[in-house]
Amino acid sequence: MTPTFDKLRDILARDYRIAPELLTPESLLEEMGVDSLGVAELLFNIEDEFKIAVPPEPVTLATLGDVVGYIDGLIQAQGTAVAPSQGAMTLPA
Amino acid sequence: MNAAMRRVAVTGMGVVSPLGNSVAELYRNALGGRSGIHRLEARFSHRLVAPLVASAQLDGSAHFEPQKMRMLDRVTQFALVAANQAIAQAAPEFDALGRDRVGVFLGTGMGGSQSSDDGYQTLYGDASDRIKPFTVLLGMHNAPAAWIGIEHGIRGPNLTYSTACSSSAVAIGEAWRRIAQGEIDIAIAGGAEAPLSFGSLKAWEALHTLASIDGDDASASCKPFSKNRSGMVLGEGAAILVLEPWELAMQRGAPIHGEMLGYGLTTDAGHITRPSVEGQAAAMRAALRSAAMAPAAVEAINAHGTGTQANDAVETAAIKAVFGERALRIPVSATKAMHGHLLGAAGALECLLSLLAMQHSAALPTMHLHTPDPQCDLDYVANTARSNIAVRTMMSNSFAFGGTNAVLVLGGCGLQD
Repeated sequence: MTPTFDKLRDILARDYRIAPELLTPESLLEEMGVDSLGVAELLFNIEDEFKIAVPPEPVTLATLGDVVGYIDGLIQAQGTAVAPSQGAMTLPA
Repeated sequence: MNAAMRRVAVTGMGVVSPLGNSVAELYRNALGGRSGIHRLEARFSHRLVAPLVASAQLDGSAHFEPQKMRMLDRVTQFALVAANQAIAQAAPEFDALGRDRVGVFLGTGMGGSQSSDDGYQTLYGDASDRIKPFTVLLGMHNAPAAWIGIEHGIRGPNLTYSTACSSSAVAIGEAWRRIAQGEIDIAIAGGAEAPLSFGSLKAWEALHTLASIDGDDASASCKPFSKNRSGMVLGEGAAILVLEPWELAMQRGAPIHGEMLGYGLTTDAGHITRPSVEGQAAAMRAALRSAAMAPAAVEAINAHGTGTQANDAVETAAIKAVFGERALRIPVSATKAMHGHLLGAAGALECLLSLLAMQHSAALPTMHLHTPDPQCDLDYVANTARSNIAVRTMMSNSFAFGGTNAVLVLGGCGLQD
């Protein structure tokens, strides 16, 4: 997987208590319990974790792969880089 | 009470409070005169003149999954935990009655003030424009009631009352009225408050209504009806009741903790903070009228009794105005000396304590009352609870900044037949 996917997977595993091994690019956000409000929160956290600014325009994101593509697009446009994922170290005890 | 109106039973009680997070623990501590008031140990304590609070010991993460917790201000956590207790105890049959015949009636004075405070810290303190996405949902006053409705699939009226310190007495009274009149069949009614953020503590401090610290014993700092009283202490928590028609409760064999008999509501329309003898007395009389009772029927009172100079003297005069000579012989309890002032949840907590006191044939103590005040000369059950006294009818007073006076009249289990 890409560094962006790994980092996103860790965020979801931490915030939604989802086993990381269950997450794939095809995973549907709704099925993970991330509804439209959850997406707003996820984008807020993505700004912090990826050091990017999420534009205010609404965005439709259905799968984890969609989110990864969205983040990578913003990283490219804003010239930031993804730090390697800390993996399970970021999970709460 | 109008003959066409239905009798209303209390069949469930739940609580999160500075005196414990179960009804049994709350009552045990209140009967024993224990205080939940303490010095506040927080990073901002040194910026408070008198860092005193009555906090509830509740770890939300023990009750809610992380993704849900992030949407619940502390006030909503309190409300949900207390409501869950009350509903579990009453075990009401929502589906059999129809879920649109069930309502939620909640009082709160300050809503999700902690979340609002956090948002201001981000904006003004940290000079960041990145407010958390759920700030509105956390802070809105109707969040606690809304979440109770969501959690339990309650589809009738879902109402939040905000009349400062009488909010939850109003909520219970309005719920009682709707059940008595046949509009709904079950009400989840009470109040919740979580006002111990730095911002709200400073705001209350600025009003000069908060108690100074008792140098010998901080937990004794709130001294209702005592000459040396210096003000109130803010507390947090929630108290929730389940109300339903008496006949329905009897039919289904529900536990009956007492009866809601009447409710009086008046407004001072005078000063924004200064209480009024006339307004308070009128609310007590209105409550008695709605219960179709003479003053002589009231055998004990849970006073608003905040521990401020103004309230306690005015409330004493109002009780005398309503009960005349007999006022001197009615046991009057001011339990805020122990659990602090829960603002919008105070009326519900004190209603619950009144029901418990009647159940146990007791009068709860007004603690830290060692210096009599000539202006406050009623029987305040000073410093020690009284047991083995048969109390069949109690009055619970709640008054407020803004002038909304709400009084509940409650019957004990002895009235069951």
